Amino acid sequence: MDIGTGVKLSHPLDFLRVFQTTTRERYDWINPLAIAALATIGLFFIYSAQLANNRGQWLMQVVWLVVGAVIYCAVSLIDYKFWLKYAHWVYAICLVSLLLPWTPFGVTRLGARRWIDFGPVSFQPSEAAKFGALIITAAILTRSRLTTVRESLQTLGILALAAGLPILLILFQPDLGSALVIPPMVFALLYVSNLSQRFFAAALGAFVLLIGLVAVDSYRYLNFLEANSLSPSTDKGAYEAHSVLPLHDYQRNRILAFIAPDRIDPMGISWNLNQSLISVGSGGLTGKGWTQGTQAKLRYLPEAHTDFIFSVLAEEKGFLGSISVLGLFGVVLWNGIRIAGLARDRLGTLLALGGTVLIAVHVFVNIAMTIGLVPITGIPLPFISYGGSFVLSCCVLQGLVQSVYRFRKEF
Amino acid sequence: MSKGFASNYRMVLLATGIFLCFGGIGVRLVWLHVLERDELLKYLEQARRSFIVENARRGNISAARGEILATSRTLMDVGLDPHMLRREDEARWPDLARLLGIKLDEIQAAARRAPETSEDDGPDAKPVQWVKLAEGVDEAVYQGDPARHILGVKDLKIRGVYGNRVYRRFYPQNSLAAHVIGYVNLQEVPAAGVEHYMDFFLRGRDGWRESERDGRRQELAQFRTREVPAVDGYNVVLSLDAYVQHLVENEMQKIADEYSPAKATIIVSDARTGFILGLANYPTFNLNEYNKAPIGALRNFAVADVFEPGSTFKIVAASGALNERLVTPNSAFDCGLTEIDYHNRHLHLPREAHEEAFHNLTVAEIISHSSNRGAAQLAMLLGDQRFYDYVRAFGFGQKTGFPFGGEVDGLLAPPKEWDGLTITRMPMGQSVAATPMQIHCAMGAIANGGILMQPQLFREVRDEHDALVFAFKDQPRRRVISEHTAQTMARLLMGVASSEGTAPDAAIPHFEVAGKTGTSQKVIDGKYSTSHHVASFVGFFPASRPRVVISVIVDDADARSPRGIAYGTKVAAPSFRHIAEQLIQYLDIKPVDPLPGYGGFAMQTAAADQGPRR
Repeated sequence: MDIGTGVKLSHPLDFLRVFQTTTRERYDWINPLAIAALATIGLFFIYSAQLANNRGQWLMQVVWLVVGAVIYCAVSLIDYKFWLKYAHWVYAICLVSLLLPWTPFGVTRLGARRWIDFGPVSFQPSEAAKFGALIITAAILTRSRLTTVRESLQTLGILALAAGLPILLILFQPDLGSALVIPPMVFALLYVSNLSQRFFAAALGAFVLLIGLVAVDSYRYLNFLEANSLSPSTDKGAYEAHSVLPLHDYQRNRILAFIAPDRIDPMGISWNLNQSLISVGSGGLTGKGWTQGTQAKLRYLPEAHTDFIFSVLAEEKGFLGSISVLGLFGVVLWNGIRIAGLARDRLGTLLALGGTVLIAVHVFVNIAMTIGLVPITGIPLPFISYGGSFVLSCCVLQGLVQSVYRFRKEF
Repeated sequence: MSKGFASNYRMVLLATGIFLCFGGIGVRLVWLHVLERDELLKYLEQARRSFIVENARRGNISAARGEILATSRTLMDVGLDPHMLRREDEARWPDLARLLGIKLDEIQAAARRAPETSEDDGPDAKPVQWVKLAEGVDEAVYQGDPARHILGVKDLKIRGVYGNRVYRRFYPQNSLAAHVIGYVNLQEVPAAGVEHYMDFFLRGRDGWRESERDGRRQELAQFRTREVPAVDGYNVVLSLDAYVQHLVENEMQKIADEYSPAKATIIVSDARTGFILGLANYPTFNLNEYNKAPIGALRNFAVADVFEPGSTFKIVAASGALNERLVTPNSAFDCGLTEIDYHNRHLHLPREAHEEAFHNLTVAEIISHSSNRGAAQLAMLLGDQRFYDYVRAFGFGQKTGFPFGGEVDGLLAPPKEWDGLTITRMPMGQSVAATPMQIHCAMGAIANGGILMQPQLFREVRDEHDALVFAFKDQPRRRVISEHTAQTMARLLMGVASSEGTAPDAAIPHFEVAGKTGTSQKVIDGKYSTSHHVASFVGFFPASRPRVVISVIVDDADARSPRGIAYGTKVAAPSFRHIAEQLIQYLDIKPVDPLPGYGGFAMQTAAADQGPRR
């Protein structure tokens, strides 16, 4: 069996040879250091955020980070070309894992089938799906030509199918946030693959159309509620039958809480956003000091140790703290794009860039939602938020970037 | 570095796009952290700080033997927090509606109020956090009774539905002693009577705590900055006896049924101490529905209104003349005189109430026959100033000290303001106005061996554990007449309630009823009316060792009285006797051997016998 560059598996332990050393050993130290710093900061603020209910999540996070570090090293030791070869297998495994929540292994929490239960730990297959989507997209774009319109359309069709399937499966869970992370990555890879600008113009048009549809739908939703004197918080689901868009009412509520917070009750649906804004704002320049923040401890801030960890940090460390974290992410992303540029083959560029863009989308959407720039979607902050599957998937993505750095060609 | 497969230009553009997004985040962070900080901080403080008042329980008002007259019931105001409701609880809404006695629609309407704000949509508008479903729910309905498997509101475990404890004032005896107890109005302000006067003791002290609340609106005990526990109000024990009050009010009802007077008052007090045992006014009202009563019914006629006392006032002139030893009970006066010389003035004496002319009457007979001319001559013996001094000494023209009810002074002019006829009219209770309480107290002074007592209503103040906080003692005001004179007057007043006196109906054999009738003409349009009278009987018994003083005063009972005139002897005296008869049993008053007749005691000294005769 041929796995990667000229490796033959003849011995049972030969599979270990996927972890290769290169002829001229080199490592990128910038990203691991920045990530370690972020993870350490994250640990401190998970500790601070969970003081209120004290379930020891920060200790669990230590365990996940250690496992994540191992996986990071493992992925960075594998030549990234390995993934091109087995892209369809990786993809298939991801699709199967996305189906698992519907089997007896699945766990339903808060009305969503997002988890697979492995006894003491549970796993979110949507995290694996991000990786799978990246691999299959990079693989397809590496093997395709986009010079003519015909070629472009053909590639786009395949891509739509390949990336669309996991997105659909994630949407069914339902987990809108995770599903929305994938398209920006696909678009970014298409963009650097020199797809004609016209396609992006068309996509932009489609996006604007979609926004328009959602806006009209939200407006009708509000009117519907008022006409039937229904409450957005207690009569969830009443409007769903009247709409052509496959959105849930809780999602409409979040969109409305973002664009029309005065029409939606501030203590109910926009509560999260308001409390998050208060947390950030009350931090001031230097913050209240570590563990001195009150918003999470007094349970004003929901999901403080996961989705709203940035608010905790901003409250306790103030502007200096939050801008430092933002800066560290900037370093990781800038370095990731630099590594993508260093790669001399298309696959390397696409994998490093895709991994970086996925992280970037998470960082941007998460922080932007805590400070009221985008509607609230349940997307965590890479390396900082609590969460096992998510830590691991981020480590895999960054391991991929390191792999591209290590195994890139020099010509 | 140009690569055929991916343009550097596009990479840079993509990176620029990503970092622009991050720049946007940075700008927004500056905005929130630096510019909007103060406003957000203010909001944070507001949302978290809470000032929680813990209501003190208002104390009870009870009668002398412990019967509760006013109490505070613990009730629950039940409501729901629309934000906390869960769909799965809706199945239990019908049970909730049944328990609270409301319609299911009302719960559904309340549940839908979530997005609304409590006040108008101003900048300070707050979201609805609690919608009231039912007021004043019994605590038993709320808590349920696990022993008897009765489910309460709490047992339904509907998230978001909860009650707040409130105290509601309740008067178990409804109208009993309404004018004494007074009431606490719907704004929780004590408005009258004991409730108002003793509010300092009754209200207790509300507790409060400054604290913080968490995101689920629960109080954070560890953030309590200051805490003052509530102190429940003290209980006030009245001297009023519930049984006496009952029988007084029953008698009042009989008077009302029989005569439908304009108003009436009955006062019963302890002869020795001045403690009020019963006090009733007509018309009265139900304390629990005070707001439905006509405004006139709320008035405490016994202290707030004045009338010309009439013949009951004759006790002043007689007591004065006896006390000054100007006369003896046997001193005789010519009550057939129609005019008299007084201080070089020629005065017309008033007419007698009865047509048959009196001639020579002793002091004893002047009282028992209620002679107007006799009373005038007794006052003339005293002279203007000395008579006035006795009137003042008996408590007229000044407040008795009854603690509430809007007591008035009455009307009493000093001698320099008198006209020529005043000395002939005031002794028979004209040209002077008194409250029923003043007349009652004046009679009480005679019953109490000559010492005027302050009317007292409060016995004790006790704390919530029933420990004594304060006990009230009897309050003597002053000695008005000597004990000897008082005894003499008591004997003479016994003559009123005898076959020779004006009030044979008031007599109870062997119980020495002493008293005085009064039938005063009401002044209507500046003239004494011949068809509107105030009928009264004020007295005490047993005369030799008085136990209780009873006043019955009925205003304008003429319409239904025999021959159209409400005489004290016909209207008031029988009620006096009814009450006295029942008090004999209730207070276990022992009969006395008949005293030697008032005519039979020749105890006055020779000096007194030498008093002037006319």
